[in-house]
Amino acid sequence: MRAYLDHGADAPLDPRVRAAMLPWLDRTGSPMGLHDPARAAADALEAARDQVARLAAWPPAGVVFTAGATEARSLAVRGALAARGGGRVVASAVEHAATLAACRSAARGSDPPLLVGVDAEGLIDPAALAAALEPETALVCLVHGQPEVGALQDLGALIAIVRDRAPGAVVVADCEETAGVIALDGAAEADLVVLGGRAMGAPAWSGALLVRPGTPLHPLIDGGPEEGGKRGGPHALPGIVALGEAARLAPAEMAARATRMAALRDRLADRVLSVPDVRLNGPPPGPRRLPGHLQASAGWVEAETLVLALAARGVACSPGSACTAGAGKASPVLEAMGLDAPWTHSAVLFTLGPRSTEAEVDHAGGAFADAVAALRRMSPLTPR
Amino acid sequence: MTGAPVLVDALGTWCPVPVSLTARAITRVPTGGLVEVWADDPLVAVDLPAWCHRTGHALERMDEEAGRWRALVRRTR
Repeated sequence: MRAYLDHGADAPLDPRVRAAMLPWLDRTGSPMGLHDPARAAADALEAARDQVARLAAWPPAGVVFTAGATEARSLAVRGALAARGGGRVVASAVEHAATLAACRSAARGSDPPLLVGVDAEGLIDPAALAAALEPETALVCLVHGQPEVGALQDLGALIAIVRDRAPGAVVVADCEETAGVIALDGAAEADLVVLGGRAMGAPAWSGALLVRPGTPLHPLIDGGPEEGGKRGGPHALPGIVALGEAARLAPAEMAARATRMAALRDRLADRVLSVPDVRLNGPPPGPRRLPGHLQASAGWVEAETLVLALAARGVACSPGSACTAGAGKASPVLEAMGLDAPWTHSAVLFTLGPRSTEAEVDHAGGAFADAVAALRRMSPLTPR
Repeated sequence: MTGAPVLVDALGTWCPVPVSLTARAITRVPTGGLVEVWADDPLVAVDLPAWCHRTGHALERMDEEAGRWRALVRRTR
């Protein structure tokens, strides 16, 4: 028996999305050209743009296709700051590692980004956000669905605080984990919105940055007029068509997908949390948690060792903090939530997809209990 | 009836991109229709009038405020 519960790292294509994208691997014609093959490519490009725009209730002309969400984050942070000539950056302490890396990279030689604290469940503290903002703040980064602990932020309320305290700031909303999964409540109030294909059944290397008209943005990749001059280079049409098809399918299906994933996640949580000295990280199951995310820390067990032990039992999952994997460091997200060792070093992340099954979840739950017990028996850290 | 202008948001891009985007957008409006161009590369103040002169489309207005240009181009043919 095998269980693939690592959809946060990579996920299978929706078969309908795959069917839509495959013909574009064999077709020739740049959407920028003037001949018939080029016009067909341009039509497919613009159809995908309309579909993505509709999913996010965004103007189609503001959709800039990228090679995944990481590029979209970097384009948002570095492109917006470059267009403004720099300035102070405020970001939540639980942003995706790629967002924080882009913030630090953009801030080289000036003030580092100011990180806003979160509560014990990973939810951004509105008072701390208000205190961090100044009228001169240039850029604010807010993640909608936190990719490690699954906390769902109240984007609308947080962006309202930014508009009140720093009305000139550009707001970046990271919706990679939520677009096509749940309603993007509040994202329409942002200036830049990060989307990725993985969570909605398109390739992880497909994505987009939504740019509110009137938001200056320098391209990261210089080129010609591709993507409104905001992202040069050839269009990766198979991924773009895939993202468009996934965005077209999502609105009618995502409520049922989320309900199903949440039920499986809760079933897995029952099994995982029944093991002694295991704690759930992030909000309890409910409206403030991503439907497919379950992160748990197993006391006295090192996270990567546990992931390897689970892999040996046929379960694919990730250490709780991908950004510190291999470094033996504590998870910055868990530290921001106020956790200490051993919990900060022992988190594993199970991420479910729309086609995960009860059998997979039950197998993973049993394997988790077995692996934790085995590792604790041989660990010198386990209290006796 | 020409409808609302098609918007070209070229803020943050450098010439010739604003003009290239305008050239593409003008093909999407009917004769008599408008394209509204936003740009912040100062070269647009030279390049866009020159392009209009060369192509024959009408530069109806072009304003600058705080380093941002807003232009209206009408398709003439």
